[in-house]
Amino acid sequence: MKYNMKNSALHALMFAAGMVVVSVAGAQAPAAAPASGIPPTWAQGRTADGMNPALAPNPPGISAMPADEIPVSKLKVPAGFKVELWASGMPNGRSMTESPSGTVYVGTRFTGNVYAVVTKDGKREVKTIAKGLHRPNGVAFVNGSLYVAELSRIIRYDNIEQNLDSPPAPVVVFDALPKDEPHGWKFMRLSPDGQYLYFQIGTPANIVVQPVTHATIVRLNLKTNILETVASGVRNSVGMDFQPGSKELWFTNNGRDWAAEDKPGDTLNRLVRPKGMNFGYPFCHQGDFLDPEFGKGRSCEEFDKPVYNLGAHVAALGMRFYNGKQFPADYKGNIFIAEHGSWNKTQRVGYQVVRVVLDSQNKVVKSEPFVTGWLEGDKFWGRPVDVQMLKDGSMLVSDDETGAIFRVSYGK
Amino acid sequence: MKFVISTKAILGVAFFTTLCLSPVIYAAPPDALAGKAKAQTCFACHGEDGISISPDIPNLAAQPPLSITYQLIQFRGQQRKGGAMEALAAPLSDQDMRDIAAYFASLPAPPAKSGNADQIAKGQQISSTQYCNSCHGPQLQGQKHIARLAGQSKEYLIAQLKNIRSGARIDMDGTMGSAARGLSDDDIDALAAYAASLK
Repeated sequence: MKYNMKNSALHALMFAAGMVVVSVAGAQAPAAAPASGIPPTWAQGRTADGMNPALAPNPPGISAMPADEIPVSKLKVPAGFKVELWASGMPNGRSMTESPSGTVYVGTRFTGNVYAVVTKDGKREVKTIAKGLHRPNGVAFVNGSLYVAELSRIIRYDNIEQNLDSPPAPVVVFDALPKDEPHGWKFMRLSPDGQYLYFQIGTPANIVVQPVTHATIVRLNLKTNILETVASGVRNSVGMDFQPGSKELWFTNNGRDWAAEDKPGDTLNRLVRPKGMNFGYPFCHQGDFLDPEFGKGRSCEEFDKPVYNLGAHVAALGMRFYNGKQFPADYKGNIFIAEHGSWNKTQRVGYQVVRVVLDSQNKVVKSEPFVTGWLEGDKFWGRPVDVQMLKDGSMLVSDDETGAIFRVSYGK
Repeated sequence: MKFVISTKAILGVAFFTTLCLSPVIYAAPPDALAGKAKAQTCFACHGEDGISISPDIPNLAAQPPLSITYQLIQFRGQQRKGGAMEALAAPLSDQDMRDIAAYFASLPAPPAKSGNADQIAKGQQISSTQYCNSCHGPQLQGQKHIARLAGQSKEYLIAQLKNIRSGARIDMDGTMGSAARGLSDDDIDALAAYAASLK
């Protein structure tokens, strides 16, 4: 708590400094001068040549496309696999988790809703179980309760499965998280032992020397309610999973913007020590790229390295290991990653689900597109956010542009 | 008759432009003619020509279509509130919103407003420092889901910037919140005067 107050004091100072500079600039000669002063947080790390209006953010997906208009036939999967529309009508549906009874819960970033997808007699029904939450992007199911990670707090809906049509008021589990909007939405995952919720606290800007609370992956002990940092120097991870067998945490990390069109890359990372690993932000990116500004006088050798470079601006988000029995044997132990797709890059990249194959030493053997077709030339109709393996061994892919979930299956 | 044809031609061009500029592919294309019919309720305040009847109501003429759609969706979801728009947006379908947006987007831009030259110059300076044009466009004409500020009512712009600064108006992705946070009331007045002076 004390810690948090310090933090906000620090932020207040930063903002006050920004205000002073702005008003001084405002009092200067009125001629249109080149940009000067401290830019707003969203613009930090951008240079004048990166202020190309054509590279303004993509419109976020905040409405749902009607099921009969979703062009699922445009999606391509490898031979032998099948992709179908599984559920629709969920504006901005993003992170997913499956309960033991087979209900799939879906969080959102922009609409404030949480959805439950229930399958009954082969038919699926989408229920909106929560509205008006603040960026409820993270979802996890623990012992009959649905945990939701909002921007600055973790809440819980008890006995949710029996009450999907009239959910109880949520219980606040932890509410002392930072309130920064940039990279404030969370991905959340339950540890294999059921003791901890893991989630990230993203950096509060594109590139900035962050407070020590930020650019981290943390875990919340569900028994003691103690929050601890498990990794630092992680700019923003919106996807993580525990490797079956080793139970190691693996996670994606989004690289900084505006350094270059082709670097630094988004990365796949592995937590080989339970605490103390530092992945380099804001000094070093992708394990071997010193930040043009903050990297001065530093070395990438100071930091832990990612397992794999997924490419610049692909927006690698949700990831899961494949441990099911439905896909062919060589898919066992693979990682699937949803790439939301680029915005500030002249040539769009990502907008696909990739398959990453590891060898027995956990080295990446290859990475290849697995589901494609959302991107057509320079235009997109959908954006994959998360992947979720169902108990039957098939895989769901959420898409926050169409507000739909697709299912990939093999055989039959 | 002649009028109808020319309106159709304008709308046709606008529709074409809309399709080309948006990075997003929609299955059902927006229909500006249908939008005009659906927008009858809007005209009482926002004007049939998209020029509002009062300074506290925004001009919608020549707004990027997505910027109108996005605000309507947020009014319908009660994430943004004000001007009784929540109730007015409640019965609209996504397609209604796209059609209405296409209509207003097709209209000629509002005229540039005159103002105090020093204040406008100061506003231009702040706009440059704050990189407003990197999203709102070189002439603050708006693009994608990002609003047109050029020729907008000065009073409306002031009210909205203050609402975003205080958190009273929803900040969709944190960008406008961080942009508005460091602005003084004088800065906001100057920015609004500058934007209103553009065409």
